[in-house]
Amino acid sequence: MSCSRQSYWKIFICAAFLAGSLEQTASKADEPGDSTPADVSASSAAEIVETMRTFCYDCHTGSEAEGGIKLDFLSEAGTPSVAIESNVELIEKIILVLKEQQMPPSDADPLPLEDRLNTIDRVERMLGAFDCGSVSRPGRVTMRRLNRAEYDNTIRDLTGLKLELAVDFPSDDVGNGFDNIGDVLTLPPILMEKYLNAAHSIATEVFQSKESIRRVFPIQFENVQSLEEAVEIAKSNANSISRRVFRRPATQQELDRMLQLMSDAWNQGAEPDTIYQTLLTALLTSPHFLYRVEQDDPRDFVDGSRALNDFELASRLSYFLWSSMPDERLLNLASDGQLHTAKQLAEEAVRMLHDPKAKALGDNFLGQWLQLRQLETLRPDPVQFPFVDDALRSAMRRETELLFETIVSENRSILELLDANYTFLNERLAKHYGIDGVVGNQFRRMQQPGLRRGVLMHGSVLTLTSNPTRTSPVKRGKWVLDNLLGEPPPPPPPNVPALEESGETLGTLRQQMEQHRSNPNCAVCHTKMDALGFGLENFDAVGRWREKDGREIIEPAGELPGGSQFSGPVDLIQLLVNSKKEDFARCVTKKLLTYALGRGLEVYDRCTVNTIVTSLVEDDYRIETLVRGIVISPQFTQQDLGR
Amino acid sequence: MANSLTPRLSRRTVLRGLGVSMALPWLEATSAVAGSLPAAAVPPTRMAFIFVPNGVHLPAWTPQTEGYGFELPRILKSLSPVKNNLTVLSGLTHDKGRANGDGPGDHARSASVFLTGAQPRKTEGENIRSGISVDQVAAQAIGHYSRFSSLELGVDEGRNTGNCDSGYSCAYSHNISWSSETTPLGKEVNPRLVFERLFAGGAKSQVESGAKQRQALNKSILDFVSEDAKRLQPKLSRNDNLKLDEYLSGVREIERRVGLGVPSAKIDASVDYPVPAGIPKDYREHLRLMCDMMVLAFQTESTRIATMMFARAGDNKNYPSVGVREGHHELSHHRDDPDKLEKITRINEFHVQQLSYMLQKMASIEEGERSLLDNSMIVYGSGLSDGNRHNNENLPILLAGSGGGSIAAGRHVRYDTETPLCNLFMSMLQRMDVHVPFVGDSTGCLPGLSG
Repeated sequence: MSCSRQSYWKIFICAAFLAGSLEQTASKADEPGDSTPADVSASSAAEIVETMRTFCYDCHTGSEAEGGIKLDFLSEAGTPSVAIESNVELIEKIILVLKEQQMPPSDADPLPLEDRLNTIDRVERMLGAFDCGSVSRPGRVTMRRLNRAEYDNTIRDLTGLKLELAVDFPSDDVGNGFDNIGDVLTLPPILMEKYLNAAHSIATEVFQSKESIRRVFPIQFENVQSLEEAVEIAKSNANSISRRVFRRPATQQELDRMLQLMSDAWNQGAEPDTIYQTLLTALLTSPHFLYRVEQDDPRDFVDGSRALNDFELASRLSYFLWSSMPDERLLNLASDGQLHTAKQLAEEAVRMLHDPKAKALGDNFLGQWLQLRQLETLRPDPVQFPFVDDALRSAMRRETELLFETIVSENRSILELLDANYTFLNERLAKHYGIDGVVGNQFRRMQQPGLRRGVLMHGSVLTLTSNPTRTSPVKRGKWVLDNLLGEPPPPPPPNVPALEESGETLGTLRQQMEQHRSNPNCAVCHTKMDALGFGLENFDAVGRWREKDGREIIEPAGELPGGSQFSGPVDLIQLLVNSKKEDFARCVTKKLLTYALGRGLEVYDRCTVNTIVTSLVEDDYRIETLVRGIVISPQFTQQDLGR
Repeated sequence: MANSLTPRLSRRTVLRGLGVSMALPWLEATSAVAGSLPAAAVPPTRMAFIFVPNGVHLPAWTPQTEGYGFELPRILKSLSPVKNNLTVLSGLTHDKGRANGDGPGDHARSASVFLTGAQPRKTEGENIRSGISVDQVAAQAIGHYSRFSSLELGVDEGRNTGNCDSGYSCAYSHNISWSSETTPLGKEVNPRLVFERLFAGGAKSQVESGAKQRQALNKSILDFVSEDAKRLQPKLSRNDNLKLDEYLSGVREIERRVGLGVPSAKIDASVDYPVPAGIPKDYREHLRLMCDMMVLAFQTESTRIATMMFARAGDNKNYPSVGVREGHHELSHHRDDPDKLEKITRINEFHVQQLSYMLQKMASIEEGERSLLDNSMIVYGSGLSDGNRHNNENLPILLAGSGGGSIAAGRHVRYDTETPLCNLFMSMLQRMDVHVPFVGDSTGCLPGLSG
């Protein structure tokens, strides 16, 4: 199939009109119409489908569909509204490229301005209408295995020992950007073997001191007088430890089996210590410990979903905010049946955010969301950047974590991740940034750190979005779209090499890139990615400030699609905060919800995301509002019936 | 030399070496009580698969002539000491590594398809699905003949993060071994842990007192947790039960090994190797240690099947030791720039040098009338052909070893393009005495391997 490539430039001519007109249509959508919602929906759907078939279908169909975006469903059986409702994610992508004037490409038949605006308007009204309607459901999380961080933290909180055995486990695979996704966390045989060995080591370590034995088995079991007494004590101890290991009370059946295990050991002639070690090893190897089991009794389900019980909620909270087991308070609230109310869940979430264990959110959520974990393995060119070592890498990472931790502990606005006019430096990092007056290894808060604002000007992010020998404006721009604005650009079409790789072009990096953007296939996305990336060119591949790249003076000014201009990095940040704060809030909400749930988001999660974003906007984007919104959402507190 | 593999040294040295190691795996500590594996009359055939990312610079890889007596091209030069044990296979293809309607994501596909020959389902998380990899097909058929049904090795230590490749979960780009369509097998990256897993148990069991009681207790523990899992099964959904199946397979594998016993005589008769300290900073050293571990495992018949990733798909690390400061992936989009091609060639040479190190080691270990290398089949290659074009035909594939004398090595063989790489896998499985109707998209066996 071929798509003609003639009227490429027309697209940009109408860009200026579009920006203004979109605002008008947004308010228009609120006006009540004469027809019933169902009528509107049906006729709108038909028109949307008609427009897409006319302007998109030619290139986006069949196995050769451009960019892998297939619209074949538009001509499949069923009513137009069904076609749209069952392909909402795709429709959302289409709306985004329509809004951003990325499609149709300039070499295809142009989509008239009016059709474009009407389509966007209709689709948004349709999506808005059924967001919280019939398709709303809590979704289902696949049973999650503890990942490495969760395993270590749980053992720490269970035994009081900081053993960190999980470093020897195979690394957990990542899905949807995180390593706590139920579907992706598999348990290969080698890991089972490691779990067994680890359980054995833990049982051995616990018995090294009286104090840790008592922490695990609170009732003294040495030197008992009679067999009857020994059995009673064993019962109590088994009860107490299994409640903490399984994160719920054990059933009578389970308790009986634990006692049987202990009595078998006794019959083998084992000493009391060995008997208790055997029990502990077994519990720490049980699927009820290694997985976060949410058992399904079909009787609990009403209309295909059920409310999680208090103990399940306690675990959801603790693994979300602490990457660890519930503490005694959560377990007690659960025992008393007090945890499941929205008020209590929100209250506990806030309490937990102020606990030192909430540092896990920085380690695991932030570290993966912003990809800070990559810093550990990045090796910038040792010739140009011989000074980059572990100390600098970890200082870079710490700076970003400290900003996040501060936002959490002071309940500040998440927008400060973008534009904080303060940061955290130690001597090493301050020197790297060319800032004087910071002495020692200790990090301290600093107001107005030069021209730096927010994470986009942190050494961490600037380094991990660079190639080993040089900056990559494309990577930086893509990183912003992926991780901050939630508008991931589609991957480049096959067989088109990365833009900046040509040996034939001359001039500055920017000139080279502009040359490449004359290829309309690339321009669609690169116009935006490159503008964002070039706005940050004043920072080199390891995040130092610079005025020149080689001999060329850096021109940090630029223009985002839609015509907004910026004069340099600080101005760019300001522009993002002013015009994109809701997109950013939505992006953070989606990432944190994904992390909290341990699954990728689906169409039916839109309603919850919208609700949270709305409350964020109303509360000056404060992070506690975000976390509260998540923990009281149906997604977090309920479960769909499993298939 | 610290890491040399000198055959036939005393049992004492081994035990001394093991004394350095930390807490011994509990699992192995009990197993000497049980019966041992019968010793094989003829050395078994081993097989391994080594993955390198981002394709290679083919003009410096492909020999000019076919058949015997070909000249080793630049990238393969370091293999000259083992040239007679080498078969260069040109023209093989992984069709399922292509988009086939799934759009971009060639790097993720190149790893997941490498040993499975299966089109991976494009998903970031939900319902991951690839295919069973050839090593696991073999492991499931003949793995029970050795203590470890297979070994999965790698070198990428850092924790995973973020998005890997265009809508594919990182599970696809970080693993080449899949024990089922839904279970990628994690890799061991720490040579110390591999070593301890392989050898510590055998020695410990010699000194363990009260081993019998221990074994009984351990059996009770395994029974207890299997019972937990079985009672849970009916209460879970289908997806949750897939997870629990993995758990139960893991327990079964352990039960098998506990019942099997460790052929410890084999270990102390043939091996002297210091316990590795851990993960070395230097990439080359790390690769060589992992290669040593694979050779040790084969030599001691701890396993017959292994896989190893020299790096993850799409890896972008630089290679300053060979003067390459740019990232590998970044360079692989070379657009025929001679400078970039030169650098890619150097990275390719570097990787092949490590392979050569391993193969030479295997060639030096005698097994009856042949060498360990003779008795093995080591496949080395990439799931992409040219990193710039991201194509999946005419893949760079080497086969080292002669599969116990069943492969006429020392040749360059060219097949018709589009011949499935899986046909090679079928031929290898036959030589492992594993008979299955197909692997991935195989259409038959690869003709002409025996000469």
